Amino acid sequence: MGWFSTLRSAVSSLLGRRRADRELAEEIRHHLELETEWQRRQGLSADEARQRAVRSFGGTALVADEVRDERGGRRIDALLQDLRFAWRSLRRQPGFAVTVVLTLGFGIGATTALFAVVRTALLAPLPYRPVDRIAMVWSAWRGFDRTWLSWDEYEAWSTEIRAIEAIGLFASGAANLTDGDQPERVRSAQITANTLSVLGVSPALGRGFSEAEDRPNGPAAAMVSYELWQRRYGADPALIGKPIQIGGEAVPVVGVLPPGFRLPLDFGGPGPTNVYQPLATDAAAEGAVPGPGFQPGGGGSHSYHAVARLAPGATVASANAELNRYVAELVRTGVMPASRQFRAFSVGIDEQVTGPIKGPLFILLGAVGVVLLIACANVAGLLRVRGARRRRELAGRVAVGAEGGRLTRLLVTESALLAGFGGALGVAVAAGVVAAVRLLAPATLPRVAETRLEPALLGAAVVLASLAALLTSILPALQAARVAPADELKEGSRGATVGAGRLRWRQALVTAEIALAVILVIGAGLLVRSVANLQSIDAGFSSDRVLTMRLSLPSTWYPDGARVAAFWDDARRRVAAVPGAQSVGAARLLPLATEMGDWGVQVEGYVPPANQGAQADWQIVTPGYFEAVRLRLREGRVLDDRDDLAGGLAMVVNRRFVDSYLAGRPPLGAQVRIGSNPNREPYTIVGVVDDVRHNGLTAESKPGFFVTMAQFSRSPGTTVRSMSLVIRTAGDPNRLVAPVRAAIREIDPRLPIAEVRTLDAIVAGSIAAPRFAMQLLGVFGLAALLLSAIGVFGVVSHVVAMREQEFGIRAALGAQPAELIRMSLATGLRQTVTGIALGAAGAWVLTRLLGQLLEGVSPTDPATFATVVLATGMVALLASAGPALRASRAQPSLVLRAD
Amino acid sequence: MTGPRSDVLQGTLEMMVLKLLTREPSHGWGLSFRLREISRDVFDVNQGSLYPALQRLLRRGLVRSEWRASENNRRARFYEITPAGHRALEAAVVDWRRSSDAVNLVLRLA
Repeated sequence: MGWFSTLRSAVSSLLGRRRADRELAEEIRHHLELETEWQRRQGLSADEARQRAVRSFGGTALVADEVRDERGGRRIDALLQDLRFAWRSLRRQPGFAVTVVLTLGFGIGATTALFAVVRTALLAPLPYRPVDRIAMVWSAWRGFDRTWLSWDEYEAWSTEIRAIEAIGLFASGAANLTDGDQPERVRSAQITANTLSVLGVSPALGRGFSEAEDRPNGPAAAMVSYELWQRRYGADPALIGKPIQIGGEAVPVVGVLPPGFRLPLDFGGPGPTNVYQPLATDAAAEGAVPGPGFQPGGGGSHSYHAVARLAPGATVASANAELNRYVAELVRTGVMPASRQFRAFSVGIDEQVTGPIKGPLFILLGAVGVVLLIACANVAGLLRVRGARRRRELAGRVAVGAEGGRLTRLLVTESALLAGFGGALGVAVAAGVVAAVRLLAPATLPRVAETRLEPALLGAAVVLASLAALLTSILPALQAARVAPADELKEGSRGATVGAGRLRWRQALVTAEIALAVILVIGAGLLVRSVANLQSIDAGFSSDRVLTMRLSLPSTWYPDGARVAAFWDDARRRVAAVPGAQSVGAARLLPLATEMGDWGVQVEGYVPPANQGAQADWQIVTPGYFEAVRLRLREGRVLDDRDDLAGGLAMVVNRRFVDSYLAGRPPLGAQVRIGSNPNREPYTIVGVVDDVRHNGLTAESKPGFFVTMAQFSRSPGTTVRSMSLVIRTAGDPNRLVAPVRAAIREIDPRLPIAEVRTLDAIVAGSIAAPRFAMQLLGVFGLAALLLSAIGVFGVVSHVVAMREQEFGIRAALGAQPAELIRMSLATGLRQTVTGIALGAAGAWVLTRLLGQLLEGVSPTDPATFATVVLATGMVALLASAGPALRASRAQPSLVLRAD
Repeated sequence: MTGPRSDVLQGTLEMMVLKLLTREPSHGWGLSFRLREISRDVFDVNQGSLYPALQRLLRRGLVRSEWRASENNRRARFYEITPAGHRALEAAVVDWRRSSDAVNLVLRLA
């Protein structure tokens, strides 16, 4: 026997309580019947027998109670009773309960969600070891703040900079996987053999690239990401050693990377790299001079990203100091022209990855912190007032004999109930916020969109928050339970000044709440204006109703420019025939999607300053592109079907090009050579278009030119294989996705189609960071405003309730309802005005933190400040309106009936 | 109600119930009837107090209960002693003998 059967009995009695009661009643009835029968057999009349039976049984209700007592589960019973009581007590003041639950819920939810984001974005370790010794190395010069390295720079920094132990290079691109029946376009990278060891990473399966594979014309080899291995190759370990089809070529897989591995630039980029191949640079062929040291003549093309492993004891700062000294020496000795303003620097990998996110995340942190502060202030205020109000109720209970312990238990149960509901709501809110973050977070904010609500995180947050809630409520409960009944009942006056001290404390809280809300809402308002400004910037093209998708033609199937051009001619014709398509073209890089670098040009009649050349952004297009994105033609004509492989070389330039290199001359007819070869066939300028903000809505436009893909393959002879198809449509562009895909499939079913999106989405994505910040601040600002409205409402209702009798007397003496309304509104007014003033002052100081996120609006924009101040005032007024109306209905009879 | 009556100590009542149940399973009224009969109405206790005692015994696993048809073919709850009940009864009887012997000794010799 013992505790187990006791427990079982308690549990089963709890579960089968109803049934047990029913059975007990039946048992007692049966007993009484038998006893009655027996008594009748002893000769009593039916009535007497029945009475005798009942009397000798000793009270059925009493017995039933005793049995129930013996059944066990008494404590659980009492708990349920407490809960029922607490529920009833809270129901009596639903406003209080709902407010506390909402407040706790939003507080817990927001904190949990924010913590999940911070954990994922900032705290989760990067997949490199050791993180503090990994850095990226960049070059910079006039016009480029942070750009690729050349082979010579790579060799020089690897060998000459002592703080750098080793450098690995990588270049990112995309590859078509053509094995199986599902062609797929994935992100790919070429890496040097040492890149993985520089990052401190070993393959999960197989091996990394060998030195031999990393040499020009070395054996072909590929590595795949863990995720691709799982998804496309069914996690088959036998993939190692087997060839896969990359762009129509069979390449053996030598290794699988560990789960979650990414190249440093994959964070905040378009996604993880899935296929890796050796870089196998032919340095000499690239124009570099192989060997250590910096070779001024060569340099080679700047086309590599560099990750460095710092030497033991070295830091990013010491590496940068050394790089600075080295470059200064190059300039001093004339190896490097000073006019290029060349710089080399390293960035710690942590800063590299999380740098772009810190700003928005700190804003978020601030916003949530503020909302949480307000929430806590609200709950604290509410509990305090409730505690004060209940002192008399509790004192009364003590006076009529309630045990102190029971009273405390009751209060704690109430708090637990509140915390329970608050926690549940909090979990829901957190889930909602995280879902929204996953949906809204721009890809440019590294890792934010990967935020998940892990169960452990959620559990911890709920436990912590509930604990905090319980603690805050137990204190007033204990305080209340210690009350001496006589004092409270005596002092519990009917005067108008009850709890003036407590009220003042609460008014201060409300003032702070309003101030904080004003700060947040002003921040949100500034961002709204800023985003509106960004959206109204003239980007030089029109993005509405334009569908885009990326196609890449591998050299295996399309060996030369003629064949690629033929494909595009065919594609344009077929897609143009799709119902709803208005104009169709293609471009190498879409504006606001991919940053565009420049190419050296020789403009006839233009002599660049010493040590400088003329550069221009190179946009390679097919005919139809100008019409599809509506570039504005200023002079001449756009490129069209005349400008094919056989036609005369024709170029369209932008206005910045004309201003920079053709100032004061008629641009049409001018000759331009692409590249540095003076004997190359020149292009003739046939048109001038308005500048396009290609590299960002707020980025400066650079000189640029447009030539057709066909002619570019003739001079300078580069065949552009990856282009984005651009279709201007009559209606909803998304409805053309399926027919356009079908049209492409008709030409070549092997080609994967990637990055299907509208140009509008691309434009929106380019201002994703300020938009995201705006949405966050907007949501939290509204929440703060709502919570402070609740705070105002609470204080005014409190005051009105306290002065109910006073108002009653005034009403009895003939005060008009309007007068009473005015009096009660006045009680909330001072806090509101003070709060708004403090908030505006705080915002004046704090909004400059928004800095870069603001476009075309000053951090102290008077219009925004004024609007928010007015709006907050209105909200506070509305919040006071309800209780004020109640005051106006004060009845003289209340004077007699209080409490 | 005739004859002298006694307030039965809780433990004693339980012991007697267990003892009665060693003969055969019985429902509550049957137990109260036999208790009165055997004790010659000395233990004409409040018949209701039997039920909390039975509930205690149930809870401690000394008896188990079952609904079945009674002798006059009505649904009744029958109680039955368990092996644990047997052991508890033995212990209780030993205890009872020892203390009642002691009480008798005192009454006789003092």
